[in-house]
Amino acid sequence: MSADAETHPAPRLYRWRMPANWWTRNRHYFLYVLREFTSLPLAIWLLWLLYDISETRLVQPTAFAVFSIVCLPFALYHSWTFLSLAGSIIHIKVLDRPVSPRLIVASQFALWIGGTLVIGLLLLWLAP
Amino acid sequence: MPDKRITIRATRYDPDKDQAPRLQSYDIPFYDESMVVLDALNYIKSNLDGSLSYRWSCRMGICGSCGMMVNGTPKLTCNAFLRDYWPRSITVQPLNNFPVIRDLVIDIEDFMHKLKSVKPWIIRKQEIPLGAGEHYQTNEMIDDFRQFSECINCMLCYAACPVYGLNNEFLGPAATALARRYNLDSRDQGLKERQPIVGDAEGIWECSFVGECSVVCPKGVDPAKAIQQTKLDTTMRFVLPYGNRD
Amino acid sequence: MVSKVYPMRSHTVSAEGGAAAVMRPEDSYQTHAFDTIKGSDYLADQDVVEAFVREAPVEIVQMEHWGCPWSRDPDGKISVRPFGGMTTWRTVFAADKSGFHMLHTVFQTSLKYPQITRHDEAFVTKLLVEDSRCLGVVALDIRTGRFDAITAKSVILATGGLGRLYAFTTNGNICTGDGMALAYRAGAGLRDMEMVQFHPTGLPFTGILITEAVRGEGGYLLNNEGERFLKRYVPNKMELGPRDIISRAMTTEFEEGRGFEGPHGKYMHLDVRHLGEKVIDRKLPFMRELGRDYLGIDIVTDPIPVRPVQHYMMGGVDADISGATEIAGLYAAGECANVGLNGGNRLGSNSLAECLVFGAAAGRAAAEHAAAARPATANPVDAMLWDEARRVEGQYLEKKGGQERIGAIREEMQRDMDAGAGVFRTKEGLEKLVEQLGGLRERFERIKIEDTSRTFNTEIVAALELDFMLEVAQAVVVSALAREESRGAHARRDFPERDDTKYLKHTVAYRREGLRPQLEYRDVTITNFQPQARTY
Repeated sequence: MSADAETHPAPRLYRWRMPANWWTRNRHYFLYVLREFTSLPLAIWLLWLLYDISETRLVQPTAFAVFSIVCLPFALYHSWTFLSLAGSIIHIKVLDRPVSPRLIVASQFALWIGGTLVIGLLLLWLAP
Repeated sequence: MPDKRITIRATRYDPDKDQAPRLQSYDIPFYDESMVVLDALNYIKSNLDGSLSYRWSCRMGICGSCGMMVNGTPKLTCNAFLRDYWPRSITVQPLNNFPVIRDLVIDIEDFMHKLKSVKPWIIRKQEIPLGAGEHYQTNEMIDDFRQFSECINCMLCYAACPVYGLNNEFLGPAATALARRYNLDSRDQGLKERQPIVGDAEGIWECSFVGECSVVCPKGVDPAKAIQQTKLDTTMRFVLPYGNRD
Repeated sequence: MVSKVYPMRSHTVSAEGGAAAVMRPEDSYQTHAFDTIKGSDYLADQDVVEAFVREAPVEIVQMEHWGCPWSRDPDGKISVRPFGGMTTWRTVFAADKSGFHMLHTVFQTSLKYPQITRHDEAFVTKLLVEDSRCLGVVALDIRTGRFDAITAKSVILATGGLGRLYAFTTNGNICTGDGMALAYRAGAGLRDMEMVQFHPTGLPFTGILITEAVRGEGGYLLNNEGERFLKRYVPNKMELGPRDIISRAMTTEFEEGRGFEGPHGKYMHLDVRHLGEKVIDRKLPFMRELGRDYLGIDIVTDPIPVRPVQHYMMGGVDADISGATEIAGLYAAGECANVGLNGGNRLGSNSLAECLVFGAAAGRAAAEHAAAARPATANPVDAMLWDEARRVEGQYLEKKGGQERIGAIREEMQRDMDAGAGVFRTKEGLEKLVEQLGGLRERFERIKIEDTSRTFNTEIVAALELDFMLEVAQAVVVSALAREESRGAHARRDFPERDDTKYLKHTVAYRREGLRPQLEYRDVTITNFQPQARTY
């Protein structure tokens, strides 16, 4: 039982609100939003590419080339951040000992660079 | 040697009197290089303003009571040294993303509820009797979950997480790390029972790996890793049925 | 469960070293009992000790079943480590955060049981007692400022120690002797209050605990001549001697000029460099963190500065082997109780085991009592609740005037206790302390309350805690004055020898309004171990 429960309602909590500019207040938050944002230029680039494929030719080659150069840093940042986090996500054990995260990240980057080389050489070989 | 001084600006909020929190400035002596922000708050309360309210207990970074925003970063005030900020002033505010009860004191009922919801206890199909002694377990097996068992429930991770800030339904870093701690404990068999909460849309899938939780965690729990690993494990279990061991 | 803090904040969380139990075939109940009784300087009740050592291993396994991550041997069994005053390895540990893991295990497991209702951040201001029967408690809901009467057929006090009576202590802010004061005011006795333990290795300035396990793993204590000085005090056990003897040894070395001088007082070196990084990271990782965070040192390459620090209270609410006090329905367990286990000095790692064993014992006894007891009638409880609410409100919340600051009185009390009731005591020092406490109590009546809010008023909480602390401090000091011998942690410069003819007894202090507490004496229970000289 309570003494004077009526005169002691629960105190009025102050409800905290995230400010709209929350992502500008902290370097980590900003880099995170930038990382997420990179999906937008990449998506546009892919749509543009699909359009050119559907037209079976480069409709505006110079514009596309310029846009591709603009998108390249976004794509690289996207891949870099994604692969860097692999060590945190993937946890495997070999012979009962956990594989070091650095090794996992290194293997991901190795695959990325290897894959890029393979595709690049293939494209050069197929180019008329 | 002239006395050093430092300015502390602390949030004040009395629901009976104030519409919203405001900052109050205090000028205090910085009398020892080992002083932490908590010492500053205690000095204020003892000598200048007895009405300043905040939580604290162990002052050695293990009880988890004294988490507050210090110059915009969630920190344990018992482990935030004045010398790292002096001569600039220090602004101390209640942890972000939580409702404020009074001054620097937040309402943690949401967290307590989430802590309970992940069933943080050993779940077994069949209990072994006490007379049978301890379960077989090695230090290597404990290493599998040790990191996630170090959480002191200080909630700095929830204050750092913008997803939790934007959506209070999110299960959050500490609760998920604790779920993983039990899921990885060799004595536990409760993974399936925890799945409805952990694998919910408001559980691990709400996380978009900002990673700030792990940056601010004072005990190195790495809850971001716990969540991402749980995502991977959950997906693998779904995709590869033979992986559905308990 | 009623607690003035959320359960994860209880001070058990900071305990580091481990919990002692007979876990190995080469160990025996008799040895554990003897070590404990000798460690207590023969003030322990031997029947209680003998029951304790039999229950401890059971509780260790229960904790393991509940998920406590005890460190393991390569064969998968629970490990044991050496500890002060123990003749064999029997301290079970979870790295060097045993208390943290134990507390979180028990708390998280308790969430499984919907029958357990929690009142978090509820400060008990008074026990409800009528006709020497406990009916429940009155608690202030810190968040709303509301007073609640929580009626119960049994009440168990598990409120921990009173370290904050002292300026230099390992204890957190919440260790203010609340349960002891509550029971004392309700008419229960406080037993062996003069027995205050000083742990040899606290960090200077903060008082943060450096676990005895550091010495258990092989650390050396060195004075300013680089000497392992304990060879002159406890040559057979060295760093693994009992805490009271080592704290006195260090204090003597300081007085004779062989301590290091620092900005925060004298200190010794605790050296673990010879253990190597691998052992430190596996067995003492938290110590490495503490050294790094609070002192900027790496214990792998630097010696740790340490000095004796108040740490544990052997004294407490007079309770029997099942936790029962002389008030029907009131039980006590853990550090706030004195069941007769630790006597004049507690061995390290017996306290966590004590919590497990006597927590369980009190729980069972309280449950049995509740099953048979008749419920409290509403009328007397209502009246008691209103009276108590009015008392606290009148005394604090509605207080006008007053000039004394709570912090000033508290800090002065702490300095006075450090000086007068520390490692070494004298009659003059203790008499002066009684006067000082009287003066502080007077000033307490004139405190100034600046916080007029009902919502989360921590100034009222601080005032209530200081009220409790001044109350129990008196029991500590008067008991110490009356014991004219040195036994266990109670060391009198004017009576340096142990006197079994006069003082092989427990001191029990009873509160008397406006007067010094009434002291009664009760014989120690001896079963199998006759008191001998205590050397190591």
